[in-house]
Amino acid sequence: MHDLYIFITGPLAWAAFILFIGGSLYRLLAMLILVNRKERFIFSYMSLRYGLRSILHWITPFATVNMRRHPVLTVVTFLFHICLIVTPIFLLSHVILWDESWNLSWWSLPDGLADFMTIIVIAGAIFFLIRRIVSPEVQFVTSASDYIILAIVAAPFVTGFLAYHQWFAYEFFMVLHILTGEMMLVAIPFTRLSHMIYSPFTRAYMGSEFGGVRHAKDW
Amino acid sequence: MNKSVVYMIAFVIIFVFVLVSVHSQEDMERVDNSVFKNPERPSALFRHDEHNENADIENCSECHHLYEDGQMIEDGSSEDQHCSDCHALKASDSIPALRKAFHMNCKGCHLEQKQGPVTCGECHKK
Repeated sequence: MHDLYIFITGPLAWAAFILFIGGSLYRLLAMLILVNRKERFIFSYMSLRYGLRSILHWITPFATVNMRRHPVLTVVTFLFHICLIVTPIFLLSHVILWDESWNLSWWSLPDGLADFMTIIVIAGAIFFLIRRIVSPEVQFVTSASDYIILAIVAAPFVTGFLAYHQWFAYEFFMVLHILTGEMMLVAIPFTRLSHMIYSPFTRAYMGSEFGGVRHAKDW
Repeated sequence: MNKSVVYMIAFVIIFVFVLVSVHSQEDMERVDNSVFKNPERPSALFRHDEHNENADIENCSECHHLYEDGQMIEDGSSEDQHCSDCHALKASDSIPALRKAFHMNCKGCHLEQKQGPVTCGECHKK
């Protein structure tokens, strides 16, 4: 157990964070180089104002026509993404680990609230899974990788939830929680989870085109 | 004898027994966490004598270290004090906060020795 713990919280954690941060920077750089080579004219109408205007609309709940047309999806999507990002960063156990390793400490969520937010993430993942299976227009653009990505995202939360409650096989789920968390970090730059790093750019690009070229709203 | 008097005496005996057993060190089951306001986790499982027997610790200062001006006093021991006498809830210059002090003292040694609990739920059992 100790050698396993030392390995997965030591070298493996380093590898996961290096791949996550390095991979994200690489993907961004590769995208900019590609754009520069193939569609350089985009830079002629990229606009900070229209870009931010579009981003602002799309990160505000119900600020777009599409969100108002799908109220349930909008609520689930926002809750899912907020809880997905906020919970692991501000979870007390994680903050304690940062403090132990790097002497860095910040505000943390009460465990009860973090537990509730974890349930929201898991419920959201189940919602997206059912939506993929049931909704024809989503089914049409679904491939096996979509299910795998969803599982990669849900896994650290399911295992974290089970480990936290210590109902059964605590140590097993604890190890699995660390491993699946690291897997998710690595998956972010190299799968479609990369929308985490790309979305501000695609949004800014759409906003710029609609605002500066088509003179139309993109929300 | 009146029934309620018997109950009363029984209650007092049980109460005294519980009180005494809670306060004797051989029978301690968990670390006293009463200093923490609204602790998020149950206090850590810790049987003092059993732990030291298993870990083969005879020197109290192994855990009950003593620092003066940021320097650890060799063979200086602090078992007559509470951890919280030195370690406040918030960290100060060179003294780690109480929670971190507990974690580093226990988990730190467990990792070095490759013995004993290292993950949250192994100590903070529900």
